Amino acid sequence: MTTTAERQMELTLPMVPDIEIAAARAVGNMARELGMSSERIDEMMHAVIEACINAREHSGCADNRIYLRFVGTSQGDGSRVDIWVADHGRGFDPEEARSRRAVPGTVHKRGRGLQLIESHMDEVDITTSNGGTTIHMVKYEKKS
Amino acid sequence: MTEEMKVAVERKPQGAVLYTKGYINNVGGEEIANRAYELMDDGVRTLLLNLRETKIVNSIGISILIEIIEKMMDKSGKIAFCCLTPVIHKTFQIMGLANYASIYESEEAAVKELGL
Repeated sequence: MTTTAERQMELTLPMVPDIEIAAARAVGNMARELGMSSERIDEMMHAVIEACINAREHSGCADNRIYLRFVGTSQGDGSRVDIWVADHGRGFDPEEARSRRAVPGTVHKRGRGLQLIESHMDEVDITTSNGGTTIHMVKYEKKS
Repeated sequence: MTEEMKVAVERKPQGAVLYTKGYINNVGGEEIANRAYELMDDGVRTLLLNLRETKIVNSIGISILIEIIEKMMDKSGKIAFCCLTPVIHKTFQIMGLANYASIYESEEAAVKELGL
């Protein structure tokens, strides 16, 4: 029989400078408790930071809040962390954001947060409308 | 919540090393840029950024690092980085920095290769 351990956390954070660090540390601590490797935790933390920055910089929301939910599960064959980062802002066009990416290897100064999120996480799903945006991200780690 | 960036400078015979400590965001990036531009104005054309004590960067901070690289390239100088965490190394590759600045595992290797 496989034992499953689950941890959950919900945070509502104000959109103030560097608040993304609080979010990243919270999810990092959860992942450490699940036994995830430091390299994968670092990748996940950087993705959370970019998602929070996108919400803070671009959402234009009236309530100035970022809503986060983390669910971590650990089974015999590894662990998984699901992360939702949501805002109540005006939404955005993910395809338009992706189209701003340069040819791989070339330098572009701004607008690369989504690319970093998608590179650092195993799964990314974006739900967005003029009522807000939710980015659902997943990070896995299989035990070797 | 603030994550104050600390930057230390060590002048070398042929350039300088900047040591960063803390989060490279917009504020941290500007702090690094200010020190880098002071050095450039002082004639430094080879600059090594040692990020040993930086564990987190964000895309805004990286955009400022890119501006520093571009400014140094305009002066026909070069910028390099060393002692990156694996995720920062990966992030630099995604953002394209690795094409315009050399990245070394250790400061010793960088100093030797750059002739500092």
